[in-house]
Amino acid sequence: MDYPIWNLAMGGGVLIGMVAIAHVIVSHFAVGGGIAMAVAETVAVRRGDAALRQLCRRTSLMLILISTVFGAISGVGIWVTIGLVQPVATSALIHNFVWAWATEWVFFILEVATALAYYATWDRVRPRTHLLLIWLYALAAYMSLVIIQGIIAFMLTPGRWVETHSFWDGFFNPSYLPGLVLRTGMALFLAGSYMTLAALRESDREARARLVRFLALFQVVGALVAYGGYRWWEVALPGSVRALFLGASPLLASLAGTRHLLLWALAAYLLLALFALLLPRLQRWPVTVLAMLVAFTSFGGYERLREGSRKPFVIRDVMFSNGVLVSEIAALNERGILSKAVWAAREEDGTAQGKGRAVFRAQCASCHTQNGYLSIRRIVAPIDADMIVGILESMRDDGQTYTTGAILHEGHAVTQGLNYPFMPPFVGTEEEMQALAAYLLTLKPATVAEVSHGN
Amino acid sequence: MATNLIPALDPAPLPGPTWLFHLLWVVTFTIHLLFVNSVLGGTVLAALLGTNQAVHRASAKLFVEVNSWAISFAITFGIAPLLFLQVLFGRFFYTATILVAWWWLGLLGLLTVGYYLNYVAKFRLRAGKGAGAVLVVEAVCFLAVAMIQVLVNLLHLQPERWERVADATWAAFADPTFVPRYLHFLLAAVALAGAILAWAAVRRAERGGDQQEARGMAGIGIRAALVATILQLVDGFWLLFALPEGVLKAYMRSGAASMVPLALGILAGVVLLTVLAGISDPLAQGTRVRRAAELIVGAMLVMVVTRHQLRELYLATARANEQLVIAPQWGIVVTFLLVFVLGVAVTVFALVRAAKDTPAPGETAA
Repeated sequence: MDYPIWNLAMGGGVLIGMVAIAHVIVSHFAVGGGIAMAVAETVAVRRGDAALRQLCRRTSLMLILISTVFGAISGVGIWVTIGLVQPVATSALIHNFVWAWATEWVFFILEVATALAYYATWDRVRPRTHLLLIWLYALAAYMSLVIIQGIIAFMLTPGRWVETHSFWDGFFNPSYLPGLVLRTGMALFLAGSYMTLAALRESDREARARLVRFLALFQVVGALVAYGGYRWWEVALPGSVRALFLGASPLLASLAGTRHLLLWALAAYLLLALFALLLPRLQRWPVTVLAMLVAFTSFGGYERLREGSRKPFVIRDVMFSNGVLVSEIAALNERGILSKAVWAAREEDGTAQGKGRAVFRAQCASCHTQNGYLSIRRIVAPIDADMIVGILESMRDDGQTYTTGAILHEGHAVTQGLNYPFMPPFVGTEEEMQALAAYLLTLKPATVAEVSHGN
Repeated sequence: MATNLIPALDPAPLPGPTWLFHLLWVVTFTIHLLFVNSVLGGTVLAALLGTNQAVHRASAKLFVEVNSWAISFAITFGIAPLLFLQVLFGRFFYTATILVAWWWLGLLGLLTVGYYLNYVAKFRLRAGKGAGAVLVVEAVCFLAVAMIQVLVNLLHLQPERWERVADATWAAFADPTFVPRYLHFLLAAVALAGAILAWAAVRRAERGGDQQEARGMAGIGIRAALVATILQLVDGFWLLFALPEGVLKAYMRSGAASMVPLALGILAGVVLLTVLAGISDPLAQGTRVRRAAELIVGAMLVMVVTRHQLRELYLATARANEQLVIAPQWGIVVTFLLVFVLGVAVTVFALVRAAKDTPAPGETAA
């Protein structure tokens, strides 16, 4: 909030989502691929299965190109984008979890080194050395998942950390293990899915069927593990989070829809994997590509659901998506949001609208753009002046509810009782609220032509 | 006005002693820089040499092969200093990146394109095809990445320039130290890449490779390192005297802790010049070639320390009232250190075994 705000028409959250989803799909393939290739090459060596060995060889180049190149760069890409869009949250996470990330980084080094060595040593070293490399790779890649899952899960379910601020409480939070099981399953089926595509390039029909069946096993097991993990994950969530997308009348219909999509996609994927297991000779590339798309849909759906379930927080119960801390609401109501949002305050030009624009930049611009994603102009278009003030007052009341602690249940904020349960509360002085209302009025179609304002 | 724009210190305490973060930053950044310089200098030299003549082609091929490992390691080793930097200087760093957000984001695209082009060049050269144009584009990508890094780095050091840059992004380039600092890194990269080429050629000749080709490669490497080092000595003093007056004065007054690394860096440069100038037949002077490479690495190490010390001086005023709260998370600190030692040991073991292992007579290879 007290950082400069990057103007991005598509919305910062969308950019983070694009980079993050691309990265998680690739990184989970890297994790599952390591395990699948380690098992496959071990079996190939023991049985003397040349086709299976060839499959590993074929997949290893893709592992390098995707995992060590795109995976590494998109991983750094997440850092770059979250630092640009959510610097306050990034800083908070860094201060709590820098040692976890540093530990994960050690596994990255082992992962990259063994992946490159594995690819470079085909036909050069003894089979046992080659197996050692791929098993070390699999271990390192999986350990990176074991670690990052603690931080991702923390953002949704910080658990006892909210009271203790202990690293271990934050890391081993309520959704840590279920999420890890879920991601393990997804990593396995993503890898099995991709490797099936590589297996179809095998020219010998018998061998091809054998490879497809072998990989289908991974996919079936992966899909079942992911399903079990998902159900466990739902149970582990606080009731207030579950209420967003579960039950007879979920609070966020779009999230409930996403949940259905991910579960149906998972079921469809399981059927496709069973088809490959039972009738491997009939497997063709369009079916495999379809299975991959279904796998991406299911995984992407889960990521969307997990991110959406955090609303209105970026770190649940601690920090709102605009970087305002729950603990600073009272102080900012007293001093004014612009006392902290020094960069946004540069927008002030002595007028009420100028101050309102600054308040908008400080509190709203992290989610709402003016004309693009979640366009504020479109939102205020049908609303009259009294209603705008009424909405802002209700949002300010929500802030008071947070400060009284009345909202807490078993340590978690139960947001569904609020006027605007998915929005951060309005924080700031009465004057700032009136200024914001004045600014929002200038965005209404009737007044836009009359009032000049910057972006 | 400017100091008012500095974001507040993160309310969370530092999860470890500051000296440990500084130490880890210096160690990990040095390793990162070794790979970065090898990639940047190697790609620039490969692009300049082209792939038409046999010796040039062999040199470019060596750089491209080294790059396919070094780029991965450069990126991976960049993660740790990026983490520690955010803990220590996060509010300055984030602000700088947001002010030049499109440049900073563009770095990812340039890195991806450069990295994949290296694989394109690698497979084309292995297939006996030319790769001159590919190498030129790859070099442009990496040169741009380095430029963006220098840009962000200078900006995070100088909050007093933020407001101007917020009003006009191009103002980010208006820093008298920008050009000499960029050249400082570029020349160091070329010198290191030259030394790597010469050393690899010496090793190739020792192992019975084509002597004529190896001699040509080593000659190119030594000449590149020599020219880069001569220019570096000039540029180094340009950079030193282009520093903001307050920073330069504070630096000159800061005693042995700062002057010793600087003096060692300059001394290493001068000694390096004499070592390189004394190499007339690199293949017959292998030890001297290795000394040159060692001196370049040594100079880089002390320059990393100097760079870090300068950052403290640049930010001294902005951080004057910084009230750091430190609450070390000892459990995870110890876990990290153990994993670090074990992880490095296992990585080295795996790489050595991969390099040395060969199937026994009659045994099938993997």
